[in-house]
Amino acid sequence: MTRAIRKTFVQASVVLLALLWVAPVLIVIINAAKSTKEFRQSKFWELPADWAIVDNIEQVLFRTDLGRGFVNSIVYGCLGAGFAIALAALAAFALTNLKIKGAFYWFLLIYSGTLFPFQMYLIPLFKMYSGINLYNSMLGLTLFYIGICIPFCLFVLRNYYMTFPKDYVNAAQLDGCSDFQTFLYLFVPQSLPPFFVLFLLQFTWIWNDLIFGLVLSRDEEVRPVMASLAQMTGMYSGTGMPTLLMGALIASLPTLLLFFGLQRSFMQGLAINVKD
Amino acid sequence: MSKLKKIFPYLYVLPAASFITVLFLYSAVFTLYISFTNWKGYGQAEWVGLANYIRFFQDPVLLTSFTNTILWVVATLLIPVGLGLILSVVLQNMWGHAVFKNIFYLPYGISLTITAIIWGFLFSPLGINSLLAELGIHWKVDWLNTPPYNTYSMIMASIWQSTGTNMILFLVGLQSLPKDPFEAAMIDGASRFRTFISVTVPLLKPYTIVVAGMALVNSFKVFDIIWVMTQGGPYRSSETLAVTMYRESFVLANMGQGSAVSMLLTVMVFLFSWLYLRKTIQKGEDA
Repeated sequence: MTRAIRKTFVQASVVLLALLWVAPVLIVIINAAKSTKEFRQSKFWELPADWAIVDNIEQVLFRTDLGRGFVNSIVYGCLGAGFAIALAALAAFALTNLKIKGAFYWFLLIYSGTLFPFQMYLIPLFKMYSGINLYNSMLGLTLFYIGICIPFCLFVLRNYYMTFPKDYVNAAQLDGCSDFQTFLYLFVPQSLPPFFVLFLLQFTWIWNDLIFGLVLSRDEEVRPVMASLAQMTGMYSGTGMPTLLMGALIASLPTLLLFFGLQRSFMQGLAINVKD
Repeated sequence: MSKLKKIFPYLYVLPAASFITVLFLYSAVFTLYISFTNWKGYGQAEWVGLANYIRFFQDPVLLTSFTNTILWVVATLLIPVGLGLILSVVLQNMWGHAVFKNIFYLPYGISLTITAIIWGFLFSPLGINSLLAELGIHWKVDWLNTPPYNTYSMIMASIWQSTGTNMILFLVGLQSLPKDPFEAAMIDGASRFRTFISVTVPLLKPYTIVVAGMALVNSFKVFDIIWVMTQGGPYRSSETLAVTMYRESFVLANMGQGSAVSMLLTVMVFLFSWLYLRKTIQKGEDA
């Protein structure tokens, strides 16, 4: 009997906690749908009488910097993750299958990029970028995002390529494949699942980045989405709250869609993280 | 020709290696150097020795930042990891577990910046306080403007965002555990709580080590939530080292001091990671 009571108690707590967990999201949705006027006059838990969703979306996309930030971040996410995976795959292939002296040390050199807290990179990058006109440029941010994504991609792909049977590679070379052809026709087609998971993880990382966007860019034409949002908070946290919350919702869409659309791939990705 | 061919393999590694060397390794060394100067971000850097480091023991702002960082580390190590573990075990065989898992997992799809916007709204006067007033509770704290409540509020936001991730990691771990020990515990008539303490926790240990390790390293670097919710204020009362680093370097143009904060942060992360790994590995050997 006590056991049943205890079980009910535990489950009731979980339900309560779940309500607490989902409440902030619901509150954001409700208030992002209110007009500024209604937001001022109503309580945050009251449903809007006048749904102002379309107006608020329009406001966010065309009258704030967020629309541009959204586009910028899609560019950074795709290029950054894409090039990082390509460069990491080349390096991983060479380190596991070609003759390289001290291959493990090369791996350590590249992997050490993730060793330090990111704060170590901010000042030198800012200075370096200011010196060569990369500060506040899309090229500069893209190059940075490529670099920051390489170590993790290399780590995963190197592990993956180490499990490739050597006979496979030898057979390809007997058939007259050059090293690069072996990579392109044998390794790349076999790597699509890890490429896919890595792309998801790295795109999400780039999309969510705030601090490097703040430090390496200044204008809305270059700013990534999270930096634009952070910039908006100061201006809109008063009565402009519905606009800000709508902005937050819109900026969450890509990652939320990726997440729930491709949940299984993300679980795989997390499993990779654990093995790290 | 054959000599040239020997170089080819290195060409595959070179692009990745140059990115890392130029962007990050060079940067780390540069930050170390700047931390011994009074560089302002422009002009000449003057060597000042350990002055930037000595300020840690004198400036109350830096001391507050240091203690806040420790508070963040302890809180975000204990609560989201512990809660994530408990949730994963309870949800494993609960009715409707798929729905609950998704609910707790949802904030993982929301960035820290957006988490901060959401909770910044909830802790604003228009948020929780207006609900409390409606319920007749007039205990009004201006959450984000009163230390230490501002730090507690932001830790709450962080817990909301990170618990689900830990829960999922533990669920992955739980699925990989052997069934026999649980059956044995059941046959022996062990209660669920007893089974949790004596079977689940020890078996999950490898996963706990990784999850807690990740939480540990991340907690030192907390920036986004604080920068968006309070910018470290009021009067720099809710800064952590990562926020102090940003403020000193890019708001106050004390690049030398900012670099010293980065160095301290790095030393702390390395030291704690090392102690953590050493301890967990030792424990592993004892067992």
